[in-house]
Amino acid sequence: MNDHVDVVVIGGGSAGLAAAVTAAREGATVRLLERHGFLGGMGTASLVHTFCGLYLLRKEPDAVLANPGFPSEIAGRMIVATGQGPVRMGRVDVLPQHPVEFVRIADELVAGERSLDVRWHTEVTGASCDADGWEIAWSCRGQAGKTRASAVVDASGDAVLADWIGGSTEMTESPKLQRPAYVFGIQSVEAPGDPLTLAGWLVEGVRAGDLPPTALGLTFRASGRPGESFGTLDLTGAEQQEGYDPLDPICLSRLEVEGRKVASAVVDFLRSRANGWQRAFVSHWPARAGVRESRRWVGESQLTGADILSGRRFEDEIALATWPLELRETAKGAKLRFPEGDRPAGIPLGTLRVKGEDRLFVAGRCLSCDHEAQASIRVMGTCFATGQGAGLAAAMRANGGEMGGVIERLRPVF
Amino acid sequence: MSGETKDRPTPETVTAWLRDEGIVELEETFPADGDLFLAGLDSMAVMQLVVAAEERFGAVLGPADLAKDRLATPMALARLLEEKRA
Repeated sequence: MNDHVDVVVIGGGSAGLAAAVTAAREGATVRLLERHGFLGGMGTASLVHTFCGLYLLRKEPDAVLANPGFPSEIAGRMIVATGQGPVRMGRVDVLPQHPVEFVRIADELVAGERSLDVRWHTEVTGASCDADGWEIAWSCRGQAGKTRASAVVDASGDAVLADWIGGSTEMTESPKLQRPAYVFGIQSVEAPGDPLTLAGWLVEGVRAGDLPPTALGLTFRASGRPGESFGTLDLTGAEQQEGYDPLDPICLSRLEVEGRKVASAVVDFLRSRANGWQRAFVSHWPARAGVRESRRWVGESQLTGADILSGRRFEDEIALATWPLELRETAKGAKLRFPEGDRPAGIPLGTLRVKGEDRLFVAGRCLSCDHEAQASIRVMGTCFATGQGAGLAAAMRANGGEMGGVIERLRPVF
Repeated sequence: MSGETKDRPTPETVTAWLRDEGIVELEETFPADGDLFLAGLDSMAVMQLVVAAEERFGAVLGPADLAKDRLATPMALARLLEEKRA
């Protein structure tokens, strides 16, 4: 069988979904390889229920979408699906999103593109590149195969392609690496209550020895559906061991177990104490804990935290980063660093490209940037935008197009 | 610690304490009536605040004390902590 496509996209999270749909709309034949049975990544498998980075930072009260095209389209579809518009939290506008709706929207987007073929339950197991293009090896339980492609997008979040081609990557050391979040679903919350009152109950529980100190990393938010809330637990990632390594299966395994243990204890506790929580129960676990940061590509250029904070713009920018640096280096909540004058920063095409690999594009949280910039560009709203950039670039490359055309087409409007 | 006299909470000591504990990042000039929630105070930071307030000011805050307007500014928070001192 001649299994050859124009573009293979590795990973169907927010960046990979955007890349695959954008490339298909450009006329490319696209194969999207995804390890779960649905798309959406952090926004579905890890139940992260807010799209951050979609909107400009501004003092005026109304929210303004920062990036046209796919990010704006997803925002519109989600607002229709949930009936909830953007919400201002402190100084930032966010869009509440529901993981169940996100899965469905992704299915609809995929169904709308005849040249896009998604292979779920598939992991990439190898890759090589020659003058004719890529050969990507994949495996599903009990079956393995290879797909040839003219161009590849690594939207894996962990820079997985680097393993097989000896690509240059970076990963921040454990003490500074952004902490992971364990998000779980809760049902039958008759009244979600004031988040501050719930915070007070958690402290009471820890004081009394009924809850572990890790419970102090937990916050709740109503999902918008009757009786449903999400709990988000920031973990240190180093529970019961030294160091946090999101590429280590032993570490990840402990993270999952610890997340479930703390979540169960807290919901049991609140059931006995908090008004409106008497009948609450944990209704779903995430398919995986939410990793905020792991390994990144070292690309042709590297976006830095200083670039974000100064609102730096670039000749070859293909999207805008609007989210502040959201540092989660401890499990004690976010520390936000805002850019001067709330200005957006450009994301250069060079951060999506790897030296010497002109048929490879990267997108999402593993694009080329430093630790501080990653604290801004990792959010889903921005991942839609960088995914769109990588998808368009890959489709144009597969078609023999010049990269100047990508920059022309995706020039920011602000 | 238990033998020490606990500090009295004033808007100034509360602001310095929030900053030193890393509960909220505040500038030296943060006003006594400045909005702490806009400055980054959230429910997770409030949990640290409750734990640290007992240690520093001897003030024990329970779930019923944690209304947003009582925590919203260094002035309001100092008043609440003074009231709750053991």
